[in-house]
Amino acid sequence: MINLAYKDIAHSYLKFIVTAMGVGMLLGIVLIMIGVYRGMVIDAQVLLDDIGADLWVVQENTLGPFAESSRVHEDLKNTLRVNPEIDKTAALAFLNLQIKTPDGIMKRVYSVGYDPHGDLPAINPERLVAGRSIEKSHYEIVVSQKLGFRLQDKIRLGRNIYTVVGITKGAVSSGGDPVIYVSLKDAQELQFLYSNARIRNDRARGLKVDADNHLVNAVVATVVKGSDPDAVAENIRRWKHLSAFTVSDERNILTKNVIETASKQIGMFTVILVGVSTIIIALIIYTMTLEKIKEISIMKLVGLPNMTITKMIAQETVTLGVLAFIFGNLFAHAIWDKFPKRVVLEMDDAWALFSIILVASVLASLFGVYKAIKADPSAAIGG
Amino acid sequence: MTNEVGIKVENLTKIFGSGESEVRVLENASLEVKKGEFAALVAPSGAGKTTLLMMLGCVIEPTAGKIWLGDELVWDEDRWSTPDTRRIRREKIGFIFQAHYLIPFLNIVENVKLIPLVNGWPDEKAEKKAMELLEYFDIADKRNAMPSQLSGGQNQRAAIARALSNEPKIILADEPTAALDMERAVSVVKMLRRIVEEQNVAIIMVTHDDRLLPYCDKILSIENRKVVTTTQSAHLIV
Ligand SMILES: Nc1ncnc2c1ncn2[C@@H]1O[C@H](COP(=O)(O)OP(=O)(O)O)[C@@H](O)[C@H]1O
Ligand SMILES: [Mg+2]
Repeated sequence: MINLAYKDIAHSYLKFIVTAMGVGMLLGIVLIMIGVYRGMVIDAQVLLDDIGADLWVVQENTLGPFAESSRVHEDLKNTLRVNPEIDKTAALAFLNLQIKTPDGIMKRVYSVGYDPHGDLPAINPERLVAGRSIEKSHYEIVVSQKLGFRLQDKIRLGRNIYTVVGITKGAVSSGGDPVIYVSLKDAQELQFLYSNARIRNDRARGLKVDADNHLVNAVVATVVKGSDPDAVAENIRRWKHLSAFTVSDERNILTKNVIETASKQIGMFTVILVGVSTIIIALIIYTMTLEKIKEISIMKLVGLPNMTITKMIAQETVTLGVLAFIFGNLFAHAIWDKFPKRVVLEMDDAWALFSIILVASVLASLFGVYKAIKADPSAAIGG
Repeated sequence: MTNEVGIKVENLTKIFGSGESEVRVLENASLEVKKGEFAALVAPSGAGKTTLLMMLGCVIEPTAGKIWLGDELVWDEDRWSTPDTRRIRREKIGFIFQAHYLIPFLNIVENVKLIPLVNGWPDEKAEKKAMELLEYFDIADKRNAMPSQLSGGQNQRAAIARALSNEPKIILADEPTAALDMERAVSVVKMLRRIVEEQNVAIIMVTHDDRLLPYCDKILSIENRKVVTTTQSAHLIV
């Protein structure tokens, strides 16, 4: 038997491919949108995962450094270590800075200050694509690839010049800003940086000028093997007048509190986009099927069974769907890294989208065939 | 000619629409064409020739009456004998329409062998039959051409080849020669005449061309919404 779907497609393959590409691009945009949403959720957790602590200890009644400002004393890291269930600790300082990129553009970055000689280095070695982590206590900086610096470049921050010693890829803050790393001491200095004028002013007014340079934003800790982080956190909360969160608490805070509105916004938009593109694609398929009403009438006239006609249309729809799916993925993978923030394309999302679109398309085409088959043959062929 | 029924119609009525827009095309029309008989259907435009053929071909539903194709009562007053009327069409009938109605995305030979294939013929047999017919109609060299690449006359010949491809016992032809020149028209009618004689087929052919009438055994005409039959002796092909 002749494969009618194949013959029909071959007969007008250009139109077919252009339609598949159009539908594919629409699918690609939906995939990117889903990817943007996934990217936000992942970005929010990058630092958390890179630091790799079990516990986050912050100022009492605050939610921690990513959600609201928190200050604790640096030596809390030593106090905590007294607890036998705690293994390693580290003090961390976080702050937003503006940095001048080699292109001369001011960019917002998220700076992480950590003790290069401490137990818990904040830099995930897997993210280092060039150079090394910070080794000296002062004026070394590790930057994100996105900023465009090269090793040994000099960057002015505050009153000092920093040297780029390492470049990371993919380290971002919960808001998606590129992350830079400096030593804890430098971060503390940057955090409490006063202008010369202010220092002179304060001295004149008899105020103590020396800022307390021993504050940090959080102390993180790992627990010894076999300990329950929840129990340790509970213990810290009870005795130390501090807030303590396990890494999963902190993850919840990040996804629920910090990026909630942003991700909901994108999430809603994604859902609507999926809905709208499903409708558009179903309409395209439906019109494509109805366009064949004349051919279908002829096939009916010469005596082809409904089954043969329906099979042809269904095969064409599925072929279009598969082609569009391939185009959509190619398109999405061709443009995803042009986006300024992380886009995460997951095959599972693509398959789920494919199933939705395919079901809608097949239904639309069957509805179209049904209408075409029901149409009065003499009316459709004009007598 | 045998005495077996090819096409038989009794009290066939067809009314389009109702009320103001009602069109009465046929009322209690009867006719009979035996196997081995070639009938011409002659009537002015709008008399209902196409409508009659479409009913005989199970494409449109009569309003009342009875239609037999061979010994099968296919329309009985208010219903078809089977819900799958297309099966009757593709197995028993060769239909030649006013326009060629070739499937535009199939080439000529595919168009011709499609129905035999749907009827379950093996591919070689369908291919052989199709090529025989295309050769007969002098378009074998166009076997791989698409309908859009051929002239009206070539397409019409391919459409006639298609109508014969399933070796039907009944041929319904609606002005099959209208798109052909006289020479070709005569050759097509002679060919139909030969099929009538050799394969014991019943044919009803709508025509406006008096020059083709001598090849027919019967002339049917539509007068006052009834079919009037005139029998004559045809030019036999020897
Ligand atoms: N689908 C239809 N609906 C309403 N009237 C129709 C329809 N088809 C044909 N007719 C009418 O039936 C009459 C016969 O038409 P037709 O069979 O095409 O005539 P012929 O083939 O003899 O020229 C005409 O008056 C035509 O307008
Ligand atoms: Mg007509």
